[in-house]
Amino acid sequence: MTDTPPLAPDHTAPQTNPFSGPQPDDAGRFVHLLRRFAPWLAAIGRLTRHQIRFTLLVIGAGWGTIRESLRPNSWRRPVIYEFRASLRQVVSGGFLSIVVTATLTGLMVVSQAAYWLGFAGMAQMTGSILVSVLVREISPILVGIILMGRSGMLSLTEIGMMVLGGEVRALQARGIDPFLALVMPRTFAFTLGGFTLGMIFAVVSLLMGFVIAHSTGAITTSVWTFFFNVLAAMTTWDYLIIPLKFVLVGFFVGLGSCISGLTVSSNDTMATIMPRGFARGIMLVLVVNVLFMLDF
Amino acid sequence: MTANAPLLELRDAVPSFEESGLMPAPYNLRIMPGECAVIDCRDFERAAMFADLCSGMISLTQGSIKFMGLDWSTLRDRQLNALRGRIGRISRSSSWLNLFGTHLNIMLPHLYHTTDPFDRVVLSATELGHRFGFPGLPTSTPDRLSGADLARAACVRAFVGRPDLLVLEDISDTLPEENILPFLEMMTAARDRGCGVLWFVRSAAAWHEYRKAVNIHMRLLDEGLFPMRVV
Repeated sequence: MTDTPPLAPDHTAPQTNPFSGPQPDDAGRFVHLLRRFAPWLAAIGRLTRHQIRFTLLVIGAGWGTIRESLRPNSWRRPVIYEFRASLRQVVSGGFLSIVVTATLTGLMVVSQAAYWLGFAGMAQMTGSILVSVLVREISPILVGIILMGRSGMLSLTEIGMMVLGGEVRALQARGIDPFLALVMPRTFAFTLGGFTLGMIFAVVSLLMGFVIAHSTGAITTSVWTFFFNVLAAMTTWDYLIIPLKFVLVGFFVGLGSCISGLTVSSNDTMATIMPRGFARGIMLVLVVNVLFMLDF
Repeated sequence: MTANAPLLELRDAVPSFEESGLMPAPYNLRIMPGECAVIDCRDFERAAMFADLCSGMISLTQGSIKFMGLDWSTLRDRQLNALRGRIGRISRSSSWLNLFGTHLNIMLPHLYHTTDPFDRVVLSATELGHRFGFPGLPTSTPDRLSGADLARAACVRAFVGRPDLLVLEDISDTLPEENILPFLEMMTAARDRGCGVLWFVRSAAAWHEYRKAVNIHMRLLDEGLFPMRVV
């Protein structure tokens, strides 16, 4: 007598394992193919889910930021303090970079446009070319990149380190909502800062371009005539679209940086946070500009 | 909150293990207004997690936790935050923001949750600062302060704004000896106006002088929360 119970007759029948190897029938072939490509499909799915997650986060947080900002009791004293500090950082931190970049851009674009359009006998189009190329297309992208590099990365790192260090949890323990205290004021500081720096960029680039082109003889009109030509080349839509682009670029760069910082995981380090945040910021800048390009 | 209702009540509260790392055992605790509960816990992190649990920051798998008669799990974000604003807390670590000066860190919860005039908040924080040995309020960022100054600043921050519950993690190793008496005086004054106290200690020495005034003594272990005899 043994302790092993006798096997039931159906247990003695030979078992086939569908995962053991290639089978001659269709089902077996399908399983084999699935096994081969499953890791690739999983990786693609993971990546897609990850990308969609950030997009949905940005949409949700953007809506939340606007909705919360309309409530008067969202603008409490620490929130206002954070808004002012962030605005100061965004504008003063980016000012010099904006002036230098605008000077270089103006030097290249305005002088080249004036020279080549004059050469082609189309000098009357200088204003409209400058408005559509420099002010409407190039400025928002460069302002967005400078905002991202000078201030967005700072916000991202600060908030990311606060999450990893437990300071954000400590804020929550004291009843301070990190979304209200950090994300909302910083996003609006970036929005206002984006508009301010964008306007500075547009004026400085045109002005410096005029100075260079005037000194080389490519433009012979006065500065007032030059700016009058530029303004005359602007359509009614341009007066709306150009500031809106600066505002939206600032809004999304600020929001993207703060959200990327707030959603870091415990596995993240500076080496993973910063490249990811920078790539997301650049993507947001380009998406805003491309969307406007498609519609207008 | 009704009269004679407990200020803080944990009724068979089983915390989520994944979220907290606390033993998923039923925790029971009841603090009435003005009472002081001392929780003996050698592990700082476990004490901080239990403090988070009492502040409604950890979800429960069973039971309930009520603060001022309100169940944390039934409240929405704004209500949760407003209620947490009634808690004065001393944390051992990671509670200071180096974005602001220490003075703003101290006043931040009070400025966030109330509309009290700024001057009055500064005045009350400065008065508390004097009690804990500061000449005023420290304005440098927290990372520039010594451990002793941070412990004193933590005391000021916990007591400012007349909280209804004090959740005090053990900072007896960093708090200077001359500040222990003001700390106990402030705690007694708070209790006299109905504030409950949840005080985490690592050793008997930390609360020895206050032993007679303690109402509840419990021990927080890996296995859960166990009542001890109050002498």
